[in-house]
Amino acid sequence: MTHNGRIGMAIAMRCGVLRTLMAFALVAVASAAMQGLRAQEKRGSDPQHQLPLTWDRWLDHDEISERLRLMERTWPDLLTLQSAGKSYGGRDMWVMTINNPRTGDEADKAAMYIEANVHGNEIQGAEVVLYSIWYLMENYGRIDEITRLVDQRVFYLVPNVNPDGRDYFLDEAGSGARTGHVPVDSDGDGVADEDGPDDLNGNGIIEQIRKYVPGEGTHRISHDDPRIMERVFPGEKGDWVLLGSEGLDNDGDGRVNEDPIGGYDPNRNYASDWQPDYIQGGSMDYPFELPEARALNDFMMARPNIAGMQSYHNSGGMILRGPGADWQGTYPASDIRVYDELGENGERILPYYNYLIIWRGLYTVHGGSIDWTNDGLGIVSFSNELWNGGQYFNSPLLQEQQRDPDSPISGQRSRFFFDDFLEFGDQYLEWAPFDHPIYGAVEMGGWKKLSGRVNPRFMSMELFHRNMAFTLYHADQMPLMTIGDATVERVGGNLFRVRVDITNERLIPTITERGRQNTVVRPDLLTVDGNVEIVAAGWVRDKFRPGPTDMIDQEELDRILVRSGHPGRTTRTIEYLVRGSGSMTVRYSAVKGGTVSTTVALR
Amino acid sequence: MRSAGTCGPRAAVGVIALTLTSVAVLPAQTAAYLDFNGLTRELRSLAGGSNLARLRSLGTSHEGRDVWLVEIGNTAGAPIETRPGLLVVGNLEGDHLVGSALALETIRYLVTTDDEGVQQVLAEQVVYVVPRLNPDGAEAMFNAVRYDRTRNGRAFDDDNDGRVDEDPPEDLNGDGIITVMRVPDPSGSYMVHPDDARLMKKADPAERESGAYTLHWEGRDSDGDGYINEDGAGGVDLNRNFQHAYPYWKRDAGPHMVSEPESRALMDFVIGHRNIGAILTFGHSDNLVTAPDSRGELADASVLDLSAFADASNADIFDQGVFRTAQQGGGFGGFFFGGGGGGLPRLRGAQPGRDNDPDSGRRPATTVNRADLKYFEAVSEAYREITGIEKVGINREPEGAFFQYGYYQFGVPSFSTQGWGLPQAPAEETEEEAEQEEQPPAQAQAERPQGPPRSGQGPPRGGQQPGRGEDAQGVDAAILEAMDAAGIDAFVEWNPYAHPDLGDVEIGGFGPYVVTNPPAQQLPELGRKHGEFVARLATMLPRVTIADTEVTNHGGGVFTVRVEIENTGFFPTSLQHGVVSQSVQPTMVQIQVSPDAVLTGDAKTSMVQKLDGSGSRHEFSWVIQARQGSSVEIRVRSQKGGTATTTLTLR
Repeated sequence: MTHNGRIGMAIAMRCGVLRTLMAFALVAVASAAMQGLRAQEKRGSDPQHQLPLTWDRWLDHDEISERLRLMERTWPDLLTLQSAGKSYGGRDMWVMTINNPRTGDEADKAAMYIEANVHGNEIQGAEVVLYSIWYLMENYGRIDEITRLVDQRVFYLVPNVNPDGRDYFLDEAGSGARTGHVPVDSDGDGVADEDGPDDLNGNGIIEQIRKYVPGEGTHRISHDDPRIMERVFPGEKGDWVLLGSEGLDNDGDGRVNEDPIGGYDPNRNYASDWQPDYIQGGSMDYPFELPEARALNDFMMARPNIAGMQSYHNSGGMILRGPGADWQGTYPASDIRVYDELGENGERILPYYNYLIIWRGLYTVHGGSIDWTNDGLGIVSFSNELWNGGQYFNSPLLQEQQRDPDSPISGQRSRFFFDDFLEFGDQYLEWAPFDHPIYGAVEMGGWKKLSGRVNPRFMSMELFHRNMAFTLYHADQMPLMTIGDATVERVGGNLFRVRVDITNERLIPTITERGRQNTVVRPDLLTVDGNVEIVAAGWVRDKFRPGPTDMIDQEELDRILVRSGHPGRTTRTIEYLVRGSGSMTVRYSAVKGGTVSTTVALR
Repeated sequence: MRSAGTCGPRAAVGVIALTLTSVAVLPAQTAAYLDFNGLTRELRSLAGGSNLARLRSLGTSHEGRDVWLVEIGNTAGAPIETRPGLLVVGNLEGDHLVGSALALETIRYLVTTDDEGVQQVLAEQVVYVVPRLNPDGAEAMFNAVRYDRTRNGRAFDDDNDGRVDEDPPEDLNGDGIITVMRVPDPSGSYMVHPDDARLMKKADPAERESGAYTLHWEGRDSDGDGYINEDGAGGVDLNRNFQHAYPYWKRDAGPHMVSEPESRALMDFVIGHRNIGAILTFGHSDNLVTAPDSRGELADASVLDLSAFADASNADIFDQGVFRTAQQGGGFGGFFFGGGGGGLPRLRGAQPGRDNDPDSGRRPATTVNRADLKYFEAVSEAYREITGIEKVGINREPEGAFFQYGYYQFGVPSFSTQGWGLPQAPAEETEEEAEQEEQPPAQAQAERPQGPPRSGQGPPRGGQQPGRGEDAQGVDAAILEAMDAAGIDAFVEWNPYAHPDLGDVEIGGFGPYVVTNPPAQQLPELGRKHGEFVARLATMLPRVTIADTEVTNHGGGVFTVRVEIENTGFFPTSLQHGVVSQSVQPTMVQIQVSPDAVLTGDAKTSMVQKLDGSGSRHEFSWVIQARQGSSVEIRVRSQKGGTATTTLTLR
């Protein structure tokens, strides 16, 4: 507590200094926007929205598409909407690009790739993505830090990686919506997807089935709440058996619901540590077999400037990083330092969220998307698990009360309490009799699909904003190269010593150590143009003290390869010994950190 | 580097095939290696001239050539897609043209032979042949300058310097082939082999040897980066691009598994044809001449020293440009700065009380399941008997190879052969092999250097150590001896050459294609033998039939229906590994009555995990309620063993 408070104060104090510095930097970039800002400030601090949108319902694919088009029409200078391809069901894989062309081409700026809803039922991430686009646009020119971020960076935003699954979850019965819709023969009869659950009573919900079997069952009704079904202790008998999800034997093979739609895990189909199905269930037959994963990977591979990645999932309240399996060993120490700083600040931005390594904190995942982007594309990647059950009763006092077994908000009762008093019973369907064609007289009922993993609608705004804020912080820490003025010193004749400071202003290096090891990121290039012959080049160890330089042992000193990239928040000084005249341009180019140059006259 | 025979998009292929015909109508068999147009012409002619074969394209290569598939089977029988299938794939490595030649001859044999056994195979089974998976790589054999090119047509920045294919090998001495340069250098690591002046060895200081040469592939440092021939044409070796033991992040393996249009086309075909019950590939690795041993491991891999040494000359390229500067910390900008650290220790990547077991979770199999060995042994025996091949040349480590996918992930008997053999080696070489086998297998596997691609004109991805391939010393001499014995002129003598940058050097070494491909005149006979072997392999596929049925009338509309199914093939309906890996579905038997008409006994839909071959049977019985005199259908579906149906009358 004390510790966090101190850090927070330190941040606040330094931020003041930062703002002052930032003001100078931003004048040129955002002068047009500033005028709009002044006009708004007259009306006080509360902004007038350019595009008033509401954020209290879950949108299906058509509604998401419409909202994306609307935003693109509203902010055409900064937004570009494109489809990266089609899902199996023929729905567009929308990508919204945020880029200010006046501050440079897309490819010359570090880009943040943000995706959501890889699993069809994990829906709220799509709204986080939509909200992020909207928030950045509404506040561009109004909040300095947002203006700067939009001007410095590129964002690729994919609200809906699994549009088939999302629509199935929202618009149809929605049971088992995690999968995508590529057909899979789950029961080995040579036919795919022929026996899924059925909405027998036509209420739009796939319910659970229970049957009353006095003295022969596995479950009983809880004394705490008649809606709670408890498993009986070993050796005891209950009065109820649970018979699974609402459905029939559609294909008449004597089995119920044994081959539902799809039947795989869309987030196990990526190409790092991919494992066959018997090791990693649901991985399909080869990486990027799924049209959705393939389309988006093609998109990413064509944009090597992507330096940061976030994949929103649900639930549990986690900020996850790889590796997904311990077999992969640990990340290189320098990469871990970067992840730790981002993740630990993320925990402060996102109460109830823990920064975790996937295999240690969650479970083993082979072939997940962020393992691929980290290992195969050299991108610093997180996956947030949106929504933590602790947020239902989010005060220390209530959470203490939840540990008291007699409290009405302890154990399973807490969920009913919340539904009764906060959602007015909207998320629970009471058990009701039903005459089932196979099981006979049964009862059907239970929790509805939106409860549990999806946050209550009224709590959306905070979830959207805090997750966006973490991801924008992550985006802000992508590498950002700057170059200082060159100093020239005549050594004798037409021989000059030229020194240039090269700086990465942010936390993330231009090339992660894992990216270098796997040779998946083009090295940074330090090049020289001009009428000069480079006699020698080297890194200055300490420019304030005399001492040696680390000579660069490469054949082409006008095109130095920097395979290890430029570390975060670090200035290096390059020293050239050149013979020549006229001007000399030194350029540093990092695919994930931008290209910067300085020109100096030799005299 | 685009090859001479480059084709346009697929639509243009037919036109080219018709207009560029330069060879007259070919004899019954082809004693020549064929370029893409020549192969296409042959395939069209074979498929067009037979109602047993159908030609189609699985997709196109990077350079727009078709990946051809020929489906062979008599369509008069059961629907093709339900029959037990055998898949044959050749020329995955670009330089292995013998593979496509044998695949072509196999097609020819199957559609022209009057052997009754083969005709029965084609009536009940189906054989799919992809003769040349890597048409772009193969085309390089017909270039003006030739070198072993295993890789496909993907443009790839081998040395990751931001420039693509900028430093290919050059034919300096104008002999039309790329060989090796040996450069006198007192600090070099290599010396002339004391036993054979044609060969080089790595000097061993412990034996008081000292190196006198450095070795490079023939050419110049075209881009002036200090490395010679580190980035030539081509990108991915397709037989390293598949999912088992995939060599991550290595040169030639591609950006990821199944990254290439050619490998993806093959995978999509395979997973769309789950009736495929066995796979045969022609490639650089072998598990047919030498079957997996009792531990389920394949024979040791080997590489040519001379190629490994030349490759190693660029091995340190990824160490260049690695600069270590400690991160300076402190703040420059952003929302947070100087915000590092300060997190509670418990938050560093672990959840209290929820630390998962690091060893949890299964690992994929890496050796052939003991229960499956006998099938590999039997097929190996048949292969050696039919082809007479007893010894192979260079045997490549099959990391990412398609046939390994076929067994380890597709779950079927899956084989690879180089397709030709060498005369038996002299005794001393055998001793060496025996010594190698004495090493503990796991250790040997772990320590064995990753075989550099024989064809490579550049460094492996991921920065290999120089000097790798040391263990393999001695391979060159054995190969050369066997080649000499077989009367194959495999070696280009060293000849002096005045190199513009390096001064006086010598150029020589193994000729391209010679070590991996037999002389073309051997192709017709090898082809016929492999056709016979493929036919034999097809007869081994599982074949599920309904062997026996019985109806017992209990009166009152109650009957017992008993059915025995039998696998008349040699292979089981699923290998044990097919069961373990859940990649082969159980065989399903279903009685076509309403589920509630089954009173007792087996479930309406019943499964048997696997049914061994050679006449093994399995019995099912149902007690059902039905109308006297009505009929009931029994359906059997085996994913790899075909389908069967019978109708019984209840009386």
